[in-house]
Amino acid sequence: MTGMERVPMGPPWSIDLIADLHAGVLPPEVAAQLRPRVEADPEAREILQALDATLEDLQALPPIPMPDHVAARIDAALAAEARPSAPVVSLDEARKRRNRRLGLGGAGVLVAAAAAFGVVLAVSPGTTPSSNDAQPAPTTSSSKPNAAPPLAVKESELGSAVGDVLKAQNFGPLETPDRLAGCLKGGGITSSGNPLGISPITLDGKEAVMAILPSGLAQYRLVVLDPKTCGPDKPEGVLADTTIKQR
Amino acid sequence: MTAAASSDADLISAHAAGDPYAFSELVKRHRDRMWAVALRTLRDPEEAADALQEAFISAFRAASSFRAESQVTTWLHRIVVNACLDRMRRRQTRPTVPLPEAGPGEPVAPRDAMSDRETSLMVQEALMELPEEQRAPIVLVDVEGYSVAETAQMLGIAEGTVKSRCARGRAKLAKVLGHLRNRIADANVPADGVNVQEQRQWEGR
Repeated sequence: MTGMERVPMGPPWSIDLIADLHAGVLPPEVAAQLRPRVEADPEAREILQALDATLEDLQALPPIPMPDHVAARIDAALAAEARPSAPVVSLDEARKRRNRRLGLGGAGVLVAAAAAFGVVLAVSPGTTPSSNDAQPAPTTSSSKPNAAPPLAVKESELGSAVGDVLKAQNFGPLETPDRLAGCLKGGGITSSGNPLGISPITLDGKEAVMAILPSGLAQYRLVVLDPKTCGPDKPEGVLADTTIKQR
Repeated sequence: MTAAASSDADLISAHAAGDPYAFSELVKRHRDRMWAVALRTLRDPEEAADALQEAFISAFRAASSFRAESQVTTWLHRIVVNACLDRMRRRQTRPTVPLPEAGPGEPVAPRDAMSDRETSLMVQEALMELPEEQRAPIVLVDVEGYSVAETAQMLGIAEGTVKSRCARGRAKLAKVLGHLRNRIADANVPADGVNVQEQRQWEGR
């Protein structure tokens, strides 16, 4: 610097100026001249001591560990992010892609079949649709490629599924966050942001979707929806709605 | 894979190379400190959780932009702090609580009579009364123990500005926490125009 900075006159000096000196804000040459004068003044010295005491208070604040439910939620979000296809690709898209694959597969089958039985196929085009029918037919609208059977849950033991559902971001037959939001609205349930976890389940054997929503400190809201009936004006689509506290 | 002994930089590299567990491991290491920063900056636990989730997901996606010249924790903290500050700016609905009218130096309670826990609560409350621009550097430097240089990187401001905001914040806290006697706080002349000017001149260092 220029070495020409003016050393503030005093005492008294403002608290802000002494705080600047204390925090190392002032240019070194100014601080070097000011510090002995400040320390020689009882009131200014008291301010320095008050600032030291304030620092000690701040440094003594205890650590705040992340609560388990926040850690679980973040783990679930990162796990979902690490899964290559979820949750960015909607099931609808996945299903379209699968159908395209099946279509291509079907064509392959037809080509191979034509090589072997060309004449038969050529004279019997009516058999073509039945070759598609021969693909395993989806039994429900929620059937997914590579899907494991949905989690079987008993109504009396809803809590047992929480661990598994928290790890999932699978909207199942609800397909999209918008549909979930519509179904929650139907049940008068307000929730901001994404569910902490969501997964298709069977509730006492019946197709359903379980969503776990944030609900204040150290608790979740567990909601089970009937994907066939739930919607913005259909409270009957909410099969269960309960708040569970973090242990 | 994700050995416990891996450095943070190793974990970032493993994540970039496709290790699906590396980033979660990195987050596990630092999440308590990040939580404390988010909670102390934002006040609201729900908002702090949302901000952290948003920040970690964005860091997960942006890990390839990490440059080895900065510390992984500094990089991650910067993303977290920015997520918190963005939320505060978007929110704008809850004005900062002004300092008590009772006068500078008026302690909330006699300090000798308080337990450590009460002191912590009082300090925490006082911290919440600081404006955002002072609270964030105070939390990072004084509470979490980051260096001025690291904090400047995290907040994207000059080191002189970090020091100066810490100085202002500490001065306010000293009054609110009752470390300054009324007489001194009252008798002390306010910063005059010259000082403010010099202040601005010094800040950029």
